[in-house]
Amino acid sequence: MHNLLSRVNNISAFLSSCMMCLMGAVALSSLLYTADPKGTLTIKSASIKENEIRYYHRKQEMGFVGFKIDADLTPLFHWNTKQLFVWLEAEYTGSDGVTNEVAVWDRIVRRKEDAYLKVNGRQQYPIKDMQKTFNGVPAFNFTLKYNLMPHVGLLTYGEAARADGIPYNSTSRHI
Amino acid sequence: MSAIFGDALEAKIDFHGQALVELIAKAWLVVAAVVSFVVGWWFQSLRLTLVAYGASTLILAVVVLPPWPMYNKHPVKWLPVKEKPKNE
Repeated sequence: MHNLLSRVNNISAFLSSCMMCLMGAVALSSLLYTADPKGTLTIKSASIKENEIRYYHRKQEMGFVGFKIDADLTPLFHWNTKQLFVWLEAEYTGSDGVTNEVAVWDRIVRRKEDAYLKVNGRQQYPIKDMQKTFNGVPAFNFTLKYNLMPHVGLLTYGEAARADGIPYNSTSRHI
Repeated sequence: MSAIFGDALEAKIDFHGQALVELIAKAWLVVAAVVSFVVGWWFQSLRLTLVAYGASTLILAVVVLPPWPMYNKHPVKWLPVKEKPKNE
């Protein structure tokens, strides 16, 4: 501490320790925000169609879905929220017995003003299975999930809405 | 470093001054961290927390880095130079 450089050194070293504690406190404080907003998810249409993947010159079955989301996620925005990743997940057990979770639609919410989701849309990513067919799949479960990304701290995940047991008739190829 | 910049940038302070600087810096940084956390929490803005802490650190730098007269009030009193024996 006797000259300028040793003072700079000493103070910046202690500053970085204080900064770590401050950020740790911020990260811990976001654990106190335990909002668990729930919305509604309506599956309007769900169909299986055989489509061609042009790149591979190959035909295979794909799942398409039309849905309506009404979910107010604004309670998730607190001082440590950077953004939300929201996605619609399709869960099904394939004909090979493997349980799959596939994202069919997603959105990044950066601002609190945009966090009230009212979406009337269709899938962005058609569901494709490794088996190339959905024969023997009894039903699909659709869930609206979110991932809260904080400025500092741990990622947290949650589920905002659910539509279970959406069946489809394999002969008519329509859910 | 003093060879490059000379004594102007050395900014030396005495022992009492060093103890005082250490006390001020530690207390300031801890209190400022707590205060900026509370302020940011209250206004729900992490940016405000960081701006407040950064600003308080800049003020702290102005307070403790230059060799202000208050840090040089107790200069070390050296013993007088002894006369060298002449027969050496």
